[in-house]
Amino acid sequence: MTAGPTLEVEGLSKSFALRRGWTDAVARRKRPAHAAVDDVSFQLAPGEILGLAGGSGSGKTTLARMIIRLVEPDAGRITFDGVDVRSLSGRALRETRRRMQMVFQDPYSSLNPRMSVGAAILEAGRVHHQSGSEHPEQFVARFLDFVRLPAATARRRPEELSGGQRQRVAIARALAVGPDVVIADEAVSALDVSIQTQLLNLFLDLRDELGLSIIFVAHQLSVIAEVADRVAIMHLGRVVEVGPTAEVFRAPRDEYTRSLLAAHPHPAPLRASSKLREETS
Amino acid sequence: MTDPLLNVEELSIAFRQRRGELTVVRDVSFDVGVGEVVGLVGESGSGKSVSCRSILRLMPAHGVMRARAIEFLGRDVTKLSDRELRDHRRHNVGMVFQDPYSCLNPTQRVGEQVAEALRVNAGMSKIDARARTIELFESVGIDRGAERQRSYPHELSGGMRQRVMIAIAISAGPKLLIGDEPTTALDVTTQAQILALMSRLRDDTGMAVLLVSHDFGVVAQVCDRVVVMYGGRVMESGPVTQVCTEPQHPYTRALLESIPRLEAAGRRVRREGIPGQPPNPADVGEGCPFADRCAHASARCSSVDMSLRPVGPSHVTACPFVGEWSDPPGATESSRVGGPS
Amino acid sequence: MSNALALVRSRRWSIRRLQNWELTTGFFVVGLLLVASLLAPYLAPYPPNQVNVLVALQGPSWHHWMGTDFVGRDVWSRVLFGLRIDVLIVALITYLGLVVGVIIGTVSGYVGGWFDAIVGRVADTVVAFPFIVLVLAVVAIVGPGLKGVAIGIVIVGWALYARLARAEMLSLREQPFIMSTRALGYSHLRTIFRHALPNLVRTSLVYSTVDVVVNMLVLAGMSYLGLGQQAPGADLGSIIASGQGYLLSAWWITTLPGAVLVLFGFGVSLIGDGITRGDLAQGRL
Repeated sequence: MTAGPTLEVEGLSKSFALRRGWTDAVARRKRPAHAAVDDVSFQLAPGEILGLAGGSGSGKTTLARMIIRLVEPDAGRITFDGVDVRSLSGRALRETRRRMQMVFQDPYSSLNPRMSVGAAILEAGRVHHQSGSEHPEQFVARFLDFVRLPAATARRRPEELSGGQRQRVAIARALAVGPDVVIADEAVSALDVSIQTQLLNLFLDLRDELGLSIIFVAHQLSVIAEVADRVAIMHLGRVVEVGPTAEVFRAPRDEYTRSLLAAHPHPAPLRASSKLREETS
Repeated sequence: MTDPLLNVEELSIAFRQRRGELTVVRDVSFDVGVGEVVGLVGESGSGKSVSCRSILRLMPAHGVMRARAIEFLGRDVTKLSDRELRDHRRHNVGMVFQDPYSCLNPTQRVGEQVAEALRVNAGMSKIDARARTIELFESVGIDRGAERQRSYPHELSGGMRQRVMIAIAISAGPKLLIGDEPTTALDVTTQAQILALMSRLRDDTGMAVLLVSHDFGVVAQVCDRVVVMYGGRVMESGPVTQVCTEPQHPYTRALLESIPRLEAAGRRVRREGIPGQPPNPADVGEGCPFADRCAHASARCSSVDMSLRPVGPSHVTACPFVGEWSDPPGATESSRVGGPS
Repeated sequence: MSNALALVRSRRWSIRRLQNWELTTGFFVVGLLLVASLLAPYLAPYPPNQVNVLVALQGPSWHHWMGTDFVGRDVWSRVLFGLRIDVLIVALITYLGLVVGVIIGTVSGYVGGWFDAIVGRVADTVVAFPFIVLVLAVVAIVGPGLKGVAIGIVIVGWALYARLARAEMLSLREQPFIMSTRALGYSHLRTIFRHALPNLVRTSLVYSTVDVVVNMLVLAGMSYLGLGQQAPGADLGSIIASGQGYLLSAWWITTLPGAVLVLFGFGVSLIGDGITRGDLAQGRL
């Protein structure tokens, strides 16, 4: 295991103001801001996989986007490899962005439909002057191999690939810029179960082989259980519980975590009438 | 066994193309008893969604369905006239889809939409329909119904919208409720509530439920029986307890084993999963569609007869070689390498 | 089921491209007219401005396919040269407007903020004015002649493309593959020109096929009004205009050049339909 850099997030917050209409402007009213992420702190150790779980609207995606500065935080600190990321600009910011990559949820729209797989991977490497990118074929083949795709995939276009294959290509493209941290934002959620398992294993392999640190955002707790070393549970913009995955899942301390775990559908057969209790939210 | 309600026999569905046809469902047979909850499980491309729509004869453009019979209460749906088909759709079967938002009219109050269904399908007067709407809202777990019925779809949460859809679906008192991935777009906690609602409705009204889902966990929670589909074919079907604990088809077993589980937390083992990709309908021919991903496959699988063979009480499988590969389940997890401690 | 459907579509795709009769016919018709106009000096049986009063006002014959006009000029030769002028100018102004408009619109949609607000307002204002009136106003300033008309059309024409491109960019900006270019640390220029633009230019290209026809008619109309091509040079509009006094006695001077104009418009529209229907969109345009 290579010792890579540490990522540290402290008191990160972001709220989205509801749109202010002209009537509000006249009345000098401020529209209430909706806190998407509220005072979130955590650490990501080198080679660690941190699960980020929560329902829709819990702020997990906004948090993930703030870390790579796709969304500008309102407050808080992001320290990566000892450097305050928020103070960076220009070349230094680009370099930090290179070292933190993101894989998005929807494999059907995260690739440019007009670009072949090889061109997309090569472009990512060339933009950041990655070594080896001067030999296109070997470069592309190397990264396709990382994600267990045959080198011939390079000539294909996204539309010719299945969802799982596209997601592998998206991962290969992210790897081609040479990141230390990968943020997987619901990266397996849209895929079939059998393909999900393959990709979860791929993430584990990449952590082992490349020493990547991974933030694994998912709404499915079971997916996080399979890959994450530690888990942070988010609810309404806050981290309500954080700890080693096994501990949190076996003995949850927070009420919300408990309700998530209780509602998790289990393939072990349990008749509804005995197990489920109906509540109206 | 309960009395039969729906009996689908040898259903095949194809899409017409310029050159010939693309078959996406082959010889699928299953049945649903009165008041029974049956799950139709499969991954994308398994043909589960089009299969369930055939019960209403809802086919996409270019879709052609053939079946020996689709019997609903003894009448063959495939032979209904247009008028009879409309009655069948109105009174016998209610349907709920994955995305409640796109199924509701965004410019109309939800109460009006339910009332409209009542007026059209149950022939109620405006006043009766309004009163019944509030009752229906109550029965699908929407409290403060009188107030909520004045909401527009975008003012409701996903779970509430799905409850409205269910209210519309059951407005004419159908004998079968079809849910096509009804909880896939919802949070787990909401999902649990909707599933509980569906099984309570079954208990209260005796209505049967056909639940189409990609998620074995969902099906296991509410269903009595389950039909497992893959590559347009039925692989296995039987009581949900049986299928989940003693699957009698290599696909079912591989699928169950590849499902991520909460118990995996902190364990240093890696799930094996199913290698390869789900099949393209164009590449599926005779024989077992799972053969090229199956750990137990041999040459004979490419020409195997896929008719269903009994392996237990109302438990059938398409794999004739069941007896030959029965090693104890759970032995396929290999040790996970590396990782920080 | 979406997988199966997608497959059905992709399988059909290659076949459909060949069977897209609109596109084939459109390209054939327009291609024929283009070749004819480009080769006008070689194809034209007479010099376009050669006066021969002895053969004035003759109907179509083997010697004069489209007859002759009131001073005996061969209409067919004039049509070939006129078409040449029209096609060149129309192509130039339409696609100049497209390039300018698409670039402004794309950048504006991507950047947002005050720049976008200004571009949006200006484009809306230009579009809100009646097209012909604006062109007339520009001609009034620049002076009659093809140059004035061309400048007028470009000044008005870019705005529609800017609006189209901006609208597309706004929805494209939310697409994960555009977002991921930022996550990958690509520059804004790369994102806009390499990733966004190729994906939104199609709508504008389709619209341009309508625009070409409209511009062709505006150009002809201006010449017809005497504000475009000045005598003795001829474009289709001025040829048609020159024959209007003889409409009853020598119908060919107006009708046959008019038919060529219609044929050209028909061909271009077919190409537009073909692009819309065919899945050329899927990648290679």
